[in-house]
Amino acid sequence: MRLDRPSGVALPAAGAAALVAGSLSPWATFAGFPGKMSLGGFPGGARLFCLLLVAGSALFVVDTGGRRRAALAAALGAVAVVGLNLVALVDQGGGLGGPAWGAWLSLAGAGLLAAGAWRLPAGRAAAPDDWPARPASVEVAAVAVGLLALLGAVVWGLAINESSRFVSFLVFVGFTCAALHHLGLFTWLTVLFARRQRMAVALGGAAAVAFPFTQQGNAYWIRVFASIGVFAVAAIGLNVVVGLAGLLDLGYVAFFGVGAYVGALLANASLTTVHVHVPFLAVVLLGGCVAAVFGLVIGAPTLRLRGDYLAIVTLGFGEIFRITANNWDGLTRGPNGISGVPDLAAGGFNFGAAHSLFGVTLPGFANYYFVELALIAAAIVVFTRLNDSRIGRAWVAIREDEVAAAASGIDTIRLKLLAFAIGAFMAGCAGTVNAHLTTQVSPDSYTFLESILLVAAVVLGGMGTVPGALLGSTALFVLPEKLRSFQDKRLLLFGAALVLLMRFRPEGLVPSRRRRREFRDDAPAPAP
Amino acid sequence: MSPLLEVRGVTKRFEGLLAVDRVDLDVGQGEIVGVIGPNGAGKTSLFNCLSGLDAPTAGTIRFRGELLAGRPDRFTRAGVARTFQNIRLFPHMTAFENVLVGRHCRTRVGLASAIGRGPRFHREERESEARAGELLAFVGLGRLGGVVARNLSYGDQRRLEIARALASEPGLLLLDEPRAGMNAQETRATADLVRLIRDRGVAVAVIEHDMRFIFGLCDRVAVLVQGHKLVEGSPAEVQGDPRVIEAYLGAPTA
Amino acid sequence: MLGATYGLIALGYTMVYGIIQLINFAHGEIFMVGAFGGLTAYRYWLPGSLAGNVWVALPFVLLVAIGVAVAVAVLVERLAYRPLRNAPRLAPLITAIGVSIFLQEMVRLFYPGGKRQQPFPQLISSGTFAVGGVTVAWVSVFVVVVAVALMVGLQVFVKTTRTGKAMRATSQDPESARLMGIDIDRVIVVTFVLGAALAAVAGVMQGMRFAQIDFRIGFLAGLKAFTAAVLGGIGNLTGAVLGGFLLGIVEALATQYVPHGSSWKDVWAFVMLIGVLVVRPGGLLGERVATRA
Repeated sequence: MRLDRPSGVALPAAGAAALVAGSLSPWATFAGFPGKMSLGGFPGGARLFCLLLVAGSALFVVDTGGRRRAALAAALGAVAVVGLNLVALVDQGGGLGGPAWGAWLSLAGAGLLAAGAWRLPAGRAAAPDDWPARPASVEVAAVAVGLLALLGAVVWGLAINESSRFVSFLVFVGFTCAALHHLGLFTWLTVLFARRQRMAVALGGAAAVAFPFTQQGNAYWIRVFASIGVFAVAAIGLNVVVGLAGLLDLGYVAFFGVGAYVGALLANASLTTVHVHVPFLAVVLLGGCVAAVFGLVIGAPTLRLRGDYLAIVTLGFGEIFRITANNWDGLTRGPNGISGVPDLAAGGFNFGAAHSLFGVTLPGFANYYFVELALIAAAIVVFTRLNDSRIGRAWVAIREDEVAAAASGIDTIRLKLLAFAIGAFMAGCAGTVNAHLTTQVSPDSYTFLESILLVAAVVLGGMGTVPGALLGSTALFVLPEKLRSFQDKRLLLFGAALVLLMRFRPEGLVPSRRRRREFRDDAPAPAP
Repeated sequence: MSPLLEVRGVTKRFEGLLAVDRVDLDVGQGEIVGVIGPNGAGKTSLFNCLSGLDAPTAGTIRFRGELLAGRPDRFTRAGVARTFQNIRLFPHMTAFENVLVGRHCRTRVGLASAIGRGPRFHREERESEARAGELLAFVGLGRLGGVVARNLSYGDQRRLEIARALASEPGLLLLDEPRAGMNAQETRATADLVRLIRDRGVAVAVIEHDMRFIFGLCDRVAVLVQGHKLVEGSPAEVQGDPRVIEAYLGAPTA
Repeated sequence: MLGATYGLIALGYTMVYGIIQLINFAHGEIFMVGAFGGLTAYRYWLPGSLAGNVWVALPFVLLVAIGVAVAVAVLVERLAYRPLRNAPRLAPLITAIGVSIFLQEMVRLFYPGGKRQQPFPQLISSGTFAVGGVTVAWVSVFVVVVAVALMVGLQVFVKTTRTGKAMRATSQDPESARLMGIDIDRVIVVTFVLGAALAAVAGVMQGMRFAQIDFRIGFLAGLKAFTAAVLGGIGNLTGAVLGGFLLGIVEALATQYVPHGSSWKDVWAFVMLIGVLVVRPGGLLGERVATRA
């Protein structure tokens, strides 16, 4: 590491100084903007993110791989954070009088930083040996720190209640990840996670279990995450169908609905039409099985069809399910649905009630959250083990070239049916839990849009990977909750996001290696 | 002893076009049989019938005395494997994984075993991997197992396709133009490979344009012209037959 | 009647699918946008003195509707689909869904009063006449006449003009077509333009028929039109038209004669779609290709 030419550093240094000064000054001329923006002397609100991003400019003086792009990403992140807040300040402060001088100073500083980063010599790209193998203890610690950072980011993000500040936070996280990516950190972490998989999974599980304890008894986010859990199980199931077998199912939510109706009808809900009460675990499995049977019934005649026909036919089945649920008053009670599904109870343990553990009071939703963690764990085991077996290989083969797969001795229809049934089973299980969680089931929860949302979760996260499905469902659930002030434009943004995602990162956020190869034919091939 | 493959009166008609017309063909144990003919003579259509990709309009196909019909995977399971004229590998899988896919119909692990990961799963997986490694070495790709299929050279892709077909432990291997796009040296290597395959106890049927390749390699040659079998016999007989010369008149013969 | 609308939209699906093998999910939305284009023309741009004159108002509304729909379709093709021309098939399909949602929401949020149903002007008198005891509305006559004329026109265009021939060549083998000097990008744009124009006409017709439109009309109409295209054999122009009429008739009959038919109204299209695909995957007039890769 050596110091760069002083002349090259002067410009960004000035920018950094301006940005730091700006971040410690008031940004707003009026009170009431999130983060006490009208007060100076401390970095409240989005200003904190600017300060953290300035730290990225430290790269200016260090010669390390990927420096220019990382520094540029950090600086552009600062520009974006200041810019967005300026827009919001102008909007809420009634014109150009809204933002105070600190905001303008910060914008200038961020701009200078970006200009300085732009002028940096390109340098070399980050290489794997920038992150050489370390002793085991260091690697384990790195994995732990990585997961802690993830949990921390989630908890931090959830604690932000104002939309504008949350957008700033998202921008900050996004650009920070971009900067770290250019430094090669993620490549290194990926390798580490692969090498220490068991530990990473264990720690990840521990972080997930720990989450409800970070909420100090506040039920809101635990409730949201309980919903995400349901969604995630379904997303993993859909990932078997779409990500592994390559069958686009646009009516997948119907299986989820079948499970939910089974769950509601058999749990002796107050408005059920079937008066039996089956124990919970049996109901979950039964819901899964009924959904799987539906999957087989739907799949058997249609899986001979080519991919995009299949998409439309599944869409048709999804709509038929919804319309049937709407009209079959005798069983489903039509548009009113079945409400009053009781809370789960097992051996005197009421899942709806709050419980106290380790001195922390956990609301009832936490119980459901834990149930879903168990379901997710089971789904992950099924997913990864199938993927890494002759069945998984056959799915990939079918996805890549169905004719060649059949000629290689694969019974393609049978395997596609299997994928369909497994996906439906998982959705059915998730559906039964959801019936209890939301205490009511009605046809309008199972629309085409819900199916698309599930597909989007899988695609956004990354087809064919478990972290992808988890990340995708979390993002698609948390973002709308957080961006409530955009409520009305939610779907508009969703549609635009789908288009942009397919255009710029079709393989998703956490793609499987093979999927990445498929979507990026120009990607460098691994050396033989 | 009855032949390994017995084709009787196989006919394939596509909307008015008679692609294959009442073809009879036998392939015996340990034989290399060539199928030649001008472009559009119905060679590939015949192979598509023999591998289950197309259902013949009429006629029967028997393998080891048993009637073959249905989807392609049944044919492969019964012991007829094939390669394609325009190579059809799984392009984003590695060479090794491609061969493992070929093992599919000779392995048994089901849903429960794949999820449960009992000792049977591991035993079978180890066997498959050993087999795949051995086959890659056999076709000369021993060190390229980790390369993604589409990044292999053209000739290597053809060899990989053969290895994948062999992984299903066929009794008969159908090769559709195995030397297309190869230079003289690669062509010789392919001929040697086909002989080695025969020495493993696998009968081979080859479609080719290249007469020299066919006549140098095959025990018996059948000539298809406009869907029907014109001549069948030893390379020497076929080469001397005036009808064959006539059918090929004006067509390049090498 | 309904069948004519389905048929016109189905033509757009079938043409685009024939050329680039994409199920253009957003096509139903182009239909919806066309209807709103026509509404805008009538409500805001047409001088009040001319609004009553059918011979001025109707062509003007149709032209604007076509203009708006075509502009949107070309933009969508250029910005969303073209960059994905060589991507795996999943990608453009998901993009199409995204575009569909996006267009719906654009209209819902930004068209004045777009969140509610909008009354659509009755450009043709709502009068009826009787033929042999059957009452026929003039609108219906107009709709069927226009639809049939357009379908015939399209057939002639595709069969005889240079561009039409280029379209057919491209749909059969894009690579060879390109080698023969056909500008594929242009052919694809022309395809989208034609499809959008037909959909826009269908949109105006639908508006006149039901006297109101909203941002949701595209989804179901699009799905049913796609069904019509599949019924007739996708990629087959005559088939799309026949499929449209067939679907319209089946729906009308089922609604009338099946008990509680109207609450199950939208199911029939899907049932037919699934039935046809299962029994005859290539469609009624199509080749039997759908099971092969």
